[in-house]
Amino acid sequence: MANTWGYGAMTNHFGDIVGHSKAIFVIGANSAVANPIGFKHMLQAKDRNNAKLIVVDPVYTRSAAKADHYLRIRSGTDIALIYGILHVIFKNGWEDKQFIEQRTYGIEDVKKEAEKWTPEVASDVTGIPAEQIVQIATLLAKTKPATVVWALGITQHSVGSSNTRILPILQLVLGNMGKKGGGCNIIRGHDNVQGSTDMCNLADSLPGYYGLADGSWKHFAKGWGVDFEWIQKRFFEPKWMNAKGFSLAKWYQGVLQEEKTYSSSPIRALWIQGTGITSMSQTLKVKEALDKLDLLVIAEPFVNEAAVITDKKDDVYILPACTQFETEGSVTATNRSAQWRSKVIEPLYESKSDEQIMFEFAKKFGFYDEFVRGMMMGVKEGKIQQVKKDFVWPDDASDEIARIIKTIGLDGWTAKRLRKHQENWHMFDPITLEGKGPMKGEYYGLPWPCWNENHGGSPILYDVDTSVKEGGMGFRNRFGLEHNGVSQMADDKVTVKGSLVQGGYPEITKDNIEKVLGITLSDAEKALIGANWKVDYSGIIEKKCMEKGVAPYGNARARAIVWEFPDPVPMHREPIHSPRTDLVAKYPTYEDQKNNFRVEVKYKSEQQKQDWVKDFPTMIVSMRVVNLSGAGMLERTSKYLSHITPEMFANIHPDLALSYGIRDGEDMWLHAPHGTKIKVKAHHNVSVTPDRICLPYNFAGVFQGVDLSANYPEGTKPYTIGESSNIITNYGFDIITQISEYNAGLCRVEKA
Amino acid sequence: MSEMARMKFYCDDKRCIECFACSVACAEAHELPVGISRRKVVTLFDGVEGKEISTSIACMHCTDAPCEQVCPVDCFYIREDGIVLHDKDKCIGCGYCLYACPFGAPQFPRDGAFGHKGSMDKCTMCAGGPLETNSKEERELYGQNRIAEGKVPMCAAVCSTNALLVGDAEMVSDIYRNRVASRGKNA
Repeated sequence: MANTWGYGAMTNHFGDIVGHSKAIFVIGANSAVANPIGFKHMLQAKDRNNAKLIVVDPVYTRSAAKADHYLRIRSGTDIALIYGILHVIFKNGWEDKQFIEQRTYGIEDVKKEAEKWTPEVASDVTGIPAEQIVQIATLLAKTKPATVVWALGITQHSVGSSNTRILPILQLVLGNMGKKGGGCNIIRGHDNVQGSTDMCNLADSLPGYYGLADGSWKHFAKGWGVDFEWIQKRFFEPKWMNAKGFSLAKWYQGVLQEEKTYSSSPIRALWIQGTGITSMSQTLKVKEALDKLDLLVIAEPFVNEAAVITDKKDDVYILPACTQFETEGSVTATNRSAQWRSKVIEPLYESKSDEQIMFEFAKKFGFYDEFVRGMMMGVKEGKIQQVKKDFVWPDDASDEIARIIKTIGLDGWTAKRLRKHQENWHMFDPITLEGKGPMKGEYYGLPWPCWNENHGGSPILYDVDTSVKEGGMGFRNRFGLEHNGVSQMADDKVTVKGSLVQGGYPEITKDNIEKVLGITLSDAEKALIGANWKVDYSGIIEKKCMEKGVAPYGNARARAIVWEFPDPVPMHREPIHSPRTDLVAKYPTYEDQKNNFRVEVKYKSEQQKQDWVKDFPTMIVSMRVVNLSGAGMLERTSKYLSHITPEMFANIHPDLALSYGIRDGEDMWLHAPHGTKIKVKAHHNVSVTPDRICLPYNFAGVFQGVDLSANYPEGTKPYTIGESSNIITNYGFDIITQISEYNAGLCRVEKA
Repeated sequence: MSEMARMKFYCDDKRCIECFACSVACAEAHELPVGISRRKVVTLFDGVEGKEISTSIACMHCTDAPCEQVCPVDCFYIREDGIVLHDKDKCIGCGYCLYACPFGAPQFPRDGAFGHKGSMDKCTMCAGGPLETNSKEERELYGQNRIAEGKVPMCAAVCSTNALLVGDAEMVSDIYRNRVASRGKNA
């Protein structure tokens, strides 16, 4: 996504689906279960717009039950399906030629690849009937606007980063981008996931997606009122500042070092705050790494099951963090809008808020003053400087974010404004998000980019028919001015509404601002202005751009080829553990990766190590249950939620189960290629076909058949425990993001 | 009196997605023992392509309530607004009402963390019982009395897809009629 047009976030919003979508293409998302209230909007669109709901999923989900068209896809073949659809679109000349010509780059290469993917070829790979592929391609081509919705079913693959590019390409070809009712609506799976990525719970960037580079660090150093050299000295060696860290998916190799790692030292201590570690794959490796650590600290409201699966007896500390009801601040919704959240009660007992825990940590390690100084900074006379001696939580933290994070346009997200939106939410239209009365001119939650304190936010990204002031913009200029001699600027005919600069233009820098905007800066302005729009604390670039109706980030082309990636155009590659050996030969995975996130990663050597399907003939698909989220450690402490799924299970087709002599409700073993196994209840269910089983990932507390009840600190055992499906999630990681391949893999079923 | 409200539930099965919000919120709000389902979520033809259907079901507060007719101790009473309630102090837990009820609404508690819920327990449409309104006793035996506070019953208040509608029968049918009549008109 970000590599296609600038930002990796939901482009439109739920209200927009209700208001305008005529077709909704849902792939790799089961919103009825994962986001029930989000799903309401799709049902409303069905009612109000006669919108056609298309659901693509390896299993017949609750969302599929509400669909007009259900496509049962084989896991890990999404790219093949989309190429099949594109093949039909191109063959019939149904592509949006003007959009492609004026606002995209590289679609020709996609067209060439799509030629190979006749509906019959795509059908053989995906398992979806060829006629259905033609039917859906026709429906999408003839029904405008159509929106595409996806979630983790798309990202969690060894080809996840190609999956998330082929779907934007589909929308570009159909001309559905920057349109009401169109767009790519990626749904975040949990509360504030968008906010936590915006704020960088990531190992490969700084907050606000600032890349790992000295320039970014210097920007933050300024914003935090500390010396760049001081930050640099916190690192073992300067070179590690700009090196990606270990990822959540493979951090354990930093401890175990079974696969080659590239780091200054093995990992010896682990601090867990706000992630259910049993929802990560390769749980046995996670356990072994936890056992081997010198120190394990867990700061959570509920006992993180990391503390339960480990045999480590000493140097494990569990700090009680309070819940969101006991703290205050902003969270970011899936559509890039902020919501202020009030404290309902003071933290219970000895629990502390996340920030208090971090403050105490900073004090102990001697950097508290530097840690909190950013909250006392401000911009005065065009310069960033310390403006006060104390701070107020959380308002000054929010204002600090607004002051520093310019990449995604958080400039306008001051605590004062966010509080005002919370207090006046009845003044906003739920369909258009537009404010009424005193809130006129603002969209609810100020969806980013929100360029300044008077800007109302941008509800629909890349909409050139709306002025920048009212939330419009072109695609972001993020990938240089030209590639292979072709300009990456939007066509001369693509002028953002109200822009005084005609056609496409580059992102605005100190060097090009005068030329692009046709202005002359005063000497005083030249002295204050930052190098480019992303680091300009003076606000001059943003101000001058707004005067000309220009988006500071440029007006460029979306690109269908990402020349830095191993597959410049997305290519179908079979999952690491594929049930189709014949297709593995034809569509093999990548070469092994030497170093990504500090560790080597196996691809081809694992995929072709043996004919996996012989010993592991059944596909595994993960699923979510509506009453549990993530590792389920929170919800399984509720007796009413636990009651809905009192034990870990897998949905298995009666034909498959009975061929192993497994009756409905009996226990079965599931064995994974890497030698692990779990014991779960068999639920006979026809939502799965006999070639695959489907299991939730929200349990922990039982490990390869062993009950770990005794490992819970007294009084903390949840009402339900069970095997974590991730014990058997197969080895496999995305080539770019290193997310685990949760959603494609193989297993062997055995009667218990 | 024609303007007299007649309270009804309606569940739009085109909207219900089996999210369990109604039944969990009901259990939490009224502090029900686990296993007592004043409101149940049911899925039929689970996993069968093209046939699967989900709905939420509780006491339907029948106009001509069979439970009331068969009760040997006459513990049921029907409020003016049509909500069917019962007096747990009179109830003997015989189970006749369960036989008579077409919806399986009456529940028979065994025990629970929050104490005894009477011999028979069922949906009150969040209208409490015969004890003093919003008293501690009413709350413990019958659960919250949200109707007296002017609030929507818990189940419909939390319905994630607006499938479950509750209120004056006329209002409920107006909402549903509007939903059907405006189909495809982007209204």
